Amino acid sequence: MIRLNRRHFLMGAAAGGVFALPPARRLAAQTETITVTSYGGVWEEAIRGIFVADFTARTGGKAEVQIGGPPQWMSQIEANLADPPIDVLVNTIDLALVAGRTGLVEKIDPSKLSNLADIPQRFVDVVEGWGVVFDYGSAGIAYHRERLRNPPTSIKGMVEGALRGDFVLSLPGISYAPTPQMLIWSFADALGGSVNNVDPAFEALKALQDKRAVIFYGGATEFLNHLEAGEAEIGIYWDGRTWAHYSTGAEWIGYINPDEGGVMNPVVVQKVVNSDDSAWEYINSMLAPAPQLAFAEKVQYGVTNTKVAYPDWLKDRITPWEATRWPPFEEIGAKIPAWVDRWNREIGA
Amino acid sequence: MPSLLFLAAFFIAPLFVILEMSFQEGRLPVEGAGVFQNYQRLFADTFYLGVIAETVGLSVVVTLVSVLMGYPVAYFMVRHASGRSYDLIVFLLIAPLLTSIIMRTFGWQVLLARRGLINEALMMLNLIERPLGLLNSPLAIVVGLVHVLVPFMVLSIASVLQGIDRRLEESARILGAGKLQTFLRVTFPLSIDGVGTGAILVFMLANGSFVTLLLLGGGTLQTLPLLIYQQFNTTRDFPFAATMSNALLVLAVCCLYAQLRLIRRRGV
Amino acid sequence: MAQMREDVRERWALAAFTIAFFVFLIAPILVVVAVSFTSVSYVSFPIQGFSLRWFWRIVEYRPFLDALGVTIQVAFLSTAVAVLIGVPAALGLVRSRGASAEVAMTFLLSPLSMPMIVLGLALLFYLSALGLGISLISLVIAHAVIGLPYVVRTVAGVYRGVSPDLEESATMLGANRWQVLRHVTLPQIRPGIFAGALFSILISVDNLPISFFFGSPSTNTLPVVMLSYLEHQFDPSIAALSTVQMVLALAGLLVIERFYGLRHLGAPT
Repeated sequence: MIRLNRRHFLMGAAAGGVFALPPARRLAAQTETITVTSYGGVWEEAIRGIFVADFTARTGGKAEVQIGGPPQWMSQIEANLADPPIDVLVNTIDLALVAGRTGLVEKIDPSKLSNLADIPQRFVDVVEGWGVVFDYGSAGIAYHRERLRNPPTSIKGMVEGALRGDFVLSLPGISYAPTPQMLIWSFADALGGSVNNVDPAFEALKALQDKRAVIFYGGATEFLNHLEAGEAEIGIYWDGRTWAHYSTGAEWIGYINPDEGGVMNPVVVQKVVNSDDSAWEYINSMLAPAPQLAFAEKVQYGVTNTKVAYPDWLKDRITPWEATRWPPFEEIGAKIPAWVDRWNREIGA
Repeated sequence: MPSLLFLAAFFIAPLFVILEMSFQEGRLPVEGAGVFQNYQRLFADTFYLGVIAETVGLSVVVTLVSVLMGYPVAYFMVRHASGRSYDLIVFLLIAPLLTSIIMRTFGWQVLLARRGLINEALMMLNLIERPLGLLNSPLAIVVGLVHVLVPFMVLSIASVLQGIDRRLEESARILGAGKLQTFLRVTFPLSIDGVGTGAILVFMLANGSFVTLLLLGGGTLQTLPLLIYQQFNTTRDFPFAATMSNALLVLAVCCLYAQLRLIRRRGV
Repeated sequence: MAQMREDVRERWALAAFTIAFFVFLIAPILVVVAVSFTSVSYVSFPIQGFSLRWFWRIVEYRPFLDALGVTIQVAFLSTAVAVLIGVPAALGLVRSRGASAEVAMTFLLSPLSMPMIVLGLALLFYLSALGLGISLISLVIAHAVIGLPYVVRTVAGVYRGVSPDLEESATMLGANRWQVLRHVTLPQIRPGIFAGALFSILISVDNLPISFFFGSPSTNTLPVVMLSYLEHQFDPSIAALSTVQMVLALAGLLVIERFYGLRHLGAPT
């Protein structure tokens, strides 16, 4: 017993004494620099150059931008709840709901967000008040314009065409996080099922697989490679990413908003529990009309402030949120483990 | 020993975090099962047992291919390469590992796709009529994994081959043994430790990889690491991820122990 | 005479095999290097036009350069830790007999078999609880945990082939333990240390599943930034980064070559 304790003590000493220096973070808590999150590249340049700039200009506050992805940020907050390394979290809708349920984020406080009045209530309700949607994408049909002259205009038509052997589909696989909404629910909904009956979706996927008319992508860039390399001609993809690719000069890519409607994919901004109060002002910048418009022009995704008026070139590219199909996110969230298990057994990983 | 202490502090302690996590309720709970419910879900299901078998099978195949491809290269590198070409070989060996996995996958797609270089070349030579489906297959996975793991094999074998006393081989030759016989009776047994090191590293790395499977395999093979990644990315079912991770750890440690014993027994 | 002909044949056969092997190894990499010199803004092959703009993009987009610095720092620091504690362990275990040595060796190698994403999550919670939080120190510790097995195994593999006779003679001739280690043992196990350190550096540079749990504005490594970058755009700068990493590695090897000679480093003396 004594020996065990001594060993514990030694372990602790080795771990705590030799390696532990004072935690590097927040040594200068007085400066009130908040940490906000972003994806890398164009997104981060937009966040830093537009929202952070607006926040600093209005309030004099400082913000550091942390590049990465939501699953990583959520784990980091969870491990350091008392002194979170992140103040404002940008999140996907499914993880935003999880963050709310598990106590990582605060409910939205309308009295602290003057721009919230211009955001449709639906963008708060969809996250049950655990934040607010500031930006969204829509999942529709993207295709290779040179290799496919007469593309189908609906999801149903796309599945039928692939079964006939007209073209090969590239669809998101089960390891890609948004697949339950953008593919499983969407297919079920388009082919006569619902969130409670996804058999039509799985049957269609199995039939496509038997005909060797489908390949799956595991990450967002893979889809573009599949089209480029000729492994597939058409598939389910994001409007904003398709247009961004088109804008870089890859003018062979085209986007179709399917007859059934694209699938709404909201991006949520949330205030982390125990974070600095100036986080509210930063979120307010993310909801303001002028910064939102600048952001939309840069990343080519839709934004949520009703006062934003897109220029014509952008208007043609952005799917109005009223025209999208809104998946029942909370219900899907509860069904995801069962769907993933079924997919693994019937379709493969 | 400081390394045992270091690992105790930073490897064993986190293991307890994972062990504890695996006893919590997962997101697809088994009815009426207690703290071992996640283990029950994993081991009482032929589907998951199949996944475990596929995990081990893939690692074995990748390891064998790596030995067969890596040994001659290591031998050439140590015995025949001049100073300059030796440096070049080391550089070429590590180049794949310094290339982002996304770009590496793109490179393979350019080569293996239906409209890729290999299919186009084969069609031009009239060797095939229709393009082969090389991508999204177990073959693509093995190719992709061997590509990044074989350097570990080559360098492990080379570092041991270098230490072999060449006089032993010369004596064997003088005593009348043929070239092949000398290699099989003298050189190869002496280098078995390098093969063992390489095999352990390649086996373990193959056993834990999922990105290559995800990007090149298109779901044709399912292994434990891939399902673990899913639990993080899609279902957020950490308890089940922890359970699969423990299963993988126990499995791998058993293989490791067996391999070490084997090397010890057969080594010098 | 027959023997010499046989040797030449062997040499040519091996050379042919080695060349075929490197064609396999390098073909996809050449595609990547080519893409980094494209003049268009998206990834495609064959490339259209030639330009250096994607290398300029690396310089211009600050997080890439910052992350490259962090990546190199972490790789070398964690490898130094792994070598300092791994080499003595390997030496000790190889010369000790019995089942306990095998068990200890298995234990030292077992981090290899842990899925890194799970180890990363567990280490994040554990190191945060210890107060180390998300910091460079945490990142170095985590990488040292996964680098250690490579050093231990390669050094043990080489050391087992080294006959204890030399060490024993040196001791008998009056050398103390430190002198034996410095002048007899270390020169003999140098190829093992070189290979193990190289593996440890490569594993660290390439690592995503551990690094991303410890990412922060000041501790993001290159794979973390690249993954996040790809979330919204797929341009040839990712290819250019791979090319830069290869050039840095080549430069590193050339420097080593100039001062020590790779072959010298890789061979026992």
